[in-house]
Amino acid sequence: MNRYRFCKWSRRLVLLSWLLPPLAAASPLFGDENLQIHGFLSQGYTHTSANSWFGDSSNGSWDFRELGLNASYRLTPQLQISGQLLSLTAGEMQDGSLSLDYGLLDYNFANFDNGNLGLRFGRVKTPIGLYNDTRDVAFTRTTNFLPQSIYFDKVRNLELSNDGFQIYGDLLTDWGDLLFQAGMGKPVTDENVEYAYLGNDWQGELSGDLFFLGRVIYELEGGRIRLSATIADGDLDFEPGPTDPFSNGTIGIQLRVLSFQYNAEAWHFTTEYMQEDVINRDLGAFRPDGDNTAEGYYLQLAHDLFSDWEIIARYDVSYLDRNDRDGTRQEAGPFGIPAHNMFAKDWTLGLRWDITPAFMVRGEYHWVDGTAWLSSRENNLLQTERHWQMFSLLASYRF
Amino acid sequence: MEKRQDRTTGISVKDSPWRLPLAPVLLLAFSLLLFSSHQAFAIQLITHPGTEKTEISRSTARAIFSMRRLVWPDGAAIRVFVFPDKHKLHKAFAKQLLGVFPHQLRRAWDRKVFSGTGQAPDTVQSEAEMLEMIIRTPGAIGYISEDNRDESVQILQVE
Repeated sequence: MNRYRFCKWSRRLVLLSWLLPPLAAASPLFGDENLQIHGFLSQGYTHTSANSWFGDSSNGSWDFRELGLNASYRLTPQLQISGQLLSLTAGEMQDGSLSLDYGLLDYNFANFDNGNLGLRFGRVKTPIGLYNDTRDVAFTRTTNFLPQSIYFDKVRNLELSNDGFQIYGDLLTDWGDLLFQAGMGKPVTDENVEYAYLGNDWQGELSGDLFFLGRVIYELEGGRIRLSATIADGDLDFEPGPTDPFSNGTIGIQLRVLSFQYNAEAWHFTTEYMQEDVINRDLGAFRPDGDNTAEGYYLQLAHDLFSDWEIIARYDVSYLDRNDRDGTRQEAGPFGIPAHNMFAKDWTLGLRWDITPAFMVRGEYHWVDGTAWLSSRENNLLQTERHWQMFSLLASYRF
Repeated sequence: MEKRQDRTTGISVKDSPWRLPLAPVLLLAFSLLLFSSHQAFAIQLITHPGTEKTEISRSTARAIFSMRRLVWPDGAAIRVFVFPDKHKLHKAFAKQLLGVFPHQLRRAWDRKVFSGTGQAPDTVQSEAEMLEMIIRTPGAIGYISEDNRDESVQILQVE
């Protein structure tokens, strides 16, 4: 990214950061306690020793920006309407254009002594694991980049949000709380999904069919221990253009995630494990019918220092094919894709400083072996380097 | 009261080995310190005087302050008031009355606010402001130190 664009953007950011807080503070002045306005803005800097991630990062990239603005209104005590606008810039993967991240009606229709039940419909956030619901809010993440084994950035739209409905409920027991969500929806896909599953942005279109989405979370003592299981199951349909090499077919996806978190006063341990079945059907000779299972997991430890600092360590592992973890079969295959594109093992060390409750900076260093989660939009996969490092610095403001 | 303090001390004993590994003496001192600091901030849940409830379970209190429980049994909206995350009363409240750490509440609110599934509680800066808002707002719930208890609000006991 050139300096001119950065200056232009930084000016806009500064302007926004002056305009938005008074706006938010003014919302009670509108005279309505049922209205809330919140938002966030983050700017990241990424530098890699080789390969490209969120821009031309081997020369240092400023192409990582997250801007969000949301409003919610309680129409009745049990009925809420809410929406969030999001602009994300992520190198070649996201161009900063404005999108509706969610826009939904939430009707909390039944309340019992030991729980409640509700229904949401519209564009809802896809419930996956422990972090997906607020994945673009830097304050709610432990690191600048979420563990890519589970929260893929190169195909983020597949996981991001879906148009449909969701039934949710809480059950409070003497042995902890059970929180569940189950629903059906169409994922809001984009061309990144095509790049990830079909290798290019084709003339035709790959669109999400109806997915089943479900998650159960068990929380002991308000979240001291959190256990969760997620499932997402559905098809992507490919409608080819006249010159596309693939025929009219489907890619079936089933995502399964197990999560565990332990929160002490100053220590937080998190681990999640993921499997994703990818099932190709009727796409033609260039993509023969076949099943493949991707796999990933991470272990993460965070420790709060004093009251404003946090130190983070994580080991994150991704395999694109659990039957070809080291990539040798892929390399021997017809396209000769280098083996290291099939896995990534990422050691991360990070430090976060909450300068005020609303302003935070975080720096992190990654040592990566493998390139499984790099995007083919930013990299020629035949020329990536297997061993690489990354430094990331991010400042974030929220209100 | 006796039972509650025991429970609080229990929490600190369970977590402290991480903080102060292999230091039982320090651990004991730490627990005592925590115990005595809690003595100084006995916290009381309070509600708007029109609220019918006089007693709730700890898990329901947690659901209310996590912004998951939205209405009182009579269908009126619950309005939640808290002090800032680092306020000593908020810390004591979270640990003693809810049995959670303030960061757990903050995360629960952030998940609600930034996924469109709920709202954040209202923040007040002083006990005087807390009392004023609780008295003024139908359906309001908050907390206050026992020393500043006021006849004009209703006391809510946690079972």
